Amino acid sequence: MERFITKTNLTRLAEDLAATCRVLAPVATGGTVTFHRLRSGMSIDLHSRMAAVSPKAATFPQTEELLQVTREGEDKKPEIHETLPQGKNVVIGCRPCGARGKLIFNPVYETEKIKDPYFIQRRDNTIFITLACDRPETTCFCHSVGGGPADTAGSDVLLTLVGEGYVARSVTPEGEEIMKHALFEDAGDKGKEADAKNARALEMMGPAHDYSSAPAKILARFDDMDFWTAQSAKCISCGACTYMCPTCYCFNITDDDLGLTSRRIRTWDNCMSHTFTLEGSGHNPRPTKAHRLKNRVGHKFSYYPDLHKKVIACCGCGRCIKQCPAGVDIRQIVNAAQEYSE
Amino acid sequence: MPAQDSRELRIVGFLCNWCSYGGADTAGVGRFIQPTDLRVIRVPCSGRIDPLFVVRALMNGADGVLVSGCHPRDCHYSEGNYYARRRLELLKRFLPITGIDERRFEYTWVSASEGQRWQHVVTEFTRRIHELGPAPLFNPVSEADWNALALKASQGLGCSCHG
Amino acid sequence: MSQLDDLKAAIKDRLGELDCVIGWEQGYDALHATPLFIRSEADLDRLIIGPLAVHNLSTYLPGLKGKKVGIVVKGCDSRSVIELLNEKLINRDDVVIFGLCCDGVVSQRKIRAALSADPGFVESVTVGADDLKITVAGQNATLKLADVKADKCLTCQHPDAVLSDVLIGAKHGAPALASLACQDEFEAKSDAEKFAFWQETMSRCIRCYACRNACPMCVCRDYCIATSRDPLWVSQENSPTENMMFQMIHVSHLAGRCTECGECERACPVDIPLMLLRRYMNKQVKDVFEHQAGTALDQTPPLFTFKVEEERIHERGW
Repeated sequence: MERFITKTNLTRLAEDLAATCRVLAPVATGGTVTFHRLRSGMSIDLHSRMAAVSPKAATFPQTEELLQVTREGEDKKPEIHETLPQGKNVVIGCRPCGARGKLIFNPVYETEKIKDPYFIQRRDNTIFITLACDRPETTCFCHSVGGGPADTAGSDVLLTLVGEGYVARSVTPEGEEIMKHALFEDAGDKGKEADAKNARALEMMGPAHDYSSAPAKILARFDDMDFWTAQSAKCISCGACTYMCPTCYCFNITDDDLGLTSRRIRTWDNCMSHTFTLEGSGHNPRPTKAHRLKNRVGHKFSYYPDLHKKVIACCGCGRCIKQCPAGVDIRQIVNAAQEYSE
Repeated sequence: MPAQDSRELRIVGFLCNWCSYGGADTAGVGRFIQPTDLRVIRVPCSGRIDPLFVVRALMNGADGVLVSGCHPRDCHYSEGNYYARRRLELLKRFLPITGIDERRFEYTWVSASEGQRWQHVVTEFTRRIHELGPAPLFNPVSEADWNALALKASQGLGCSCHG
Repeated sequence: MSQLDDLKAAIKDRLGELDCVIGWEQGYDALHATPLFIRSEADLDRLIIGPLAVHNLSTYLPGLKGKKVGIVVKGCDSRSVIELLNEKLINRDDVVIFGLCCDGVVSQRKIRAALSADPGFVESVTVGADDLKITVAGQNATLKLADVKADKCLTCQHPDAVLSDVLIGAKHGAPALASLACQDEFEAKSDAEKFAFWQETMSRCIRCYACRNACPMCVCRDYCIATSRDPLWVSQENSPTENMMFQMIHVSHLAGRCTECGECERACPVDIPLMLLRRYMNKQVKDVFEHQAGTALDQTPPLFTFKVEEERIHERGW
């Protein structure tokens, strides 16, 4: 289905949806743009810049309550309540890379044997209304990892800015359902303009980099710690890259106890942290930042593709590059491994 | 004596084992009437008190925090309270930038023999906290509080250079 | 010769005796520099200095303890080196300091605010004597350096490296503002307003610890109490309370040690104005102890010591 919606009507649509669902949209606050739950009086900021934090939290919140434990008294048996996510979510205005990112979760959180009810419930109850990109930032490389500025993978509706509104294209039946809303109008021949725009955006990205040799080349460097020490020299071992990343899916589970109540929470974990692999014995198999960065890059460009149909676990959004306080560039590291000669 | 008005507030007291805890004991033995809002945590020395104990208590919802140790020159470990004085003074001066009312935190010196002084300190501090009322919680509690906060955030508030 | 040539010559001179020299090179685009670890003369070609070279490289020094390292420092960075030396976290003999006389560095946040298009679309940048010519998304813009300078540069008392083995350029000092308008304005707000501001701001924090790890004085690194389970100071939960608690840990552990280099605020991916806290704490430290961290060798951080009679502490008379 192809339709058109004006900018004003998109805002109205968001408000309309917010009455029945949790709507997440980019909002400008304090000089930055991040995804916020839309509440009345807040205005969406779709165009000033790509949101600093990815829309990952819609399907994989930074803190997620898994269960609650309550006890009436010391002598009573504790009662456990599972807290599965409720209700429907709509993400408006994420970019194609952000929508695609969550696909990386699927083969991990939903397998024959293991099904993660929290992620699956959220994923199946979240609609992504994605905005195609006009032009690439210096950190963008989505087209090199299977995506593109108008990629539809992971989205339910794709919007392309044309004049004072958006050409909307449905990708899934759920998206089509939303587009039956009266605020959408006939697209006329604006679709052609959208196609031209999308094609131009892709063209502006230049030639895509070929990562097909990366899995083997990175694995070949696995034991070469000199290589990783040099590559990680400027890394400061914080977690900005992993927390910004739409595809990083590692988590931690902890119990927060308070008196006779307790909550079991799942939170984003960070493989750049020393504690990520710290064992109870005190031994740490990844003792230095070089070991940790090797894992981060290796996981995305080598180990994951080897396990999951050659899919690179990176959506090319570039957040890890531009938000890195030290300017570590993952593209450069993979290139260095690919081009390495003994 | 119960709280100074009908409800009790949560006041945390960190008392040094050698002086102030003894002082509180002396006040008790002497049957000096004291408000009961204060929950005492005994520590070996005021120098043991990481200012972050105070911060954590305030962030977790304490309405007031009182630290009391040996008078300067009287520290059981000679120097502990000198370090404590520097740390606690800085903390007290720092609190205003966070928007936490600095009057919710106080540090003072009470020796083991000063039962009367302890009564005065605890009564005065409790009175002050009751005047201030319950402390606001840092995490918004209700959905409405979150709404209000999010809305304010999206409109920009606070710092001119950061919108 | 230009400052850069002088610097390159000075580094070339000493490179043989050093494991590496830390400087800056052009980063992933024309607007961003990135730290450069110079190990050979070939690497030296990539060295840059100037207003885009923002990083405080002394952050790397404690991690390289035991190695012979050269480091290029601006005035503010040199204060961090001094503080690290004063706290015996690095050895003077192991560090060769190439000091710059700095004219200030840019704030990427201010550049973003000054441009009409997203600086992510930057095509080229020319750094002039007092301006930046930037082409973004096909549009040209000229920004005055004075308008996009980092806040720390506006009040900087030490633009020239305070401590160096080789000083590049001529010492020039700099006229500096006594205080920042936005700081003064914030401090003047009511408790309720400030409280609400931090609640809001900390709800944005994702606790990625970029502020901590970019900080040259945060030397616990892998053993920070914020990530320890025993004792458990901060829950794994991301909430305004826990995030603020972490910031309180950071600011407490920097009391009397913070050299006001602004790296915490620069590193923050969601633009939290952390320097509001740091500057305020530093002001208190200066008031009470007449101490400014990293301004002279052999200072003792005020919380590492005490006086029996504190002239400026008047404990409450009750």
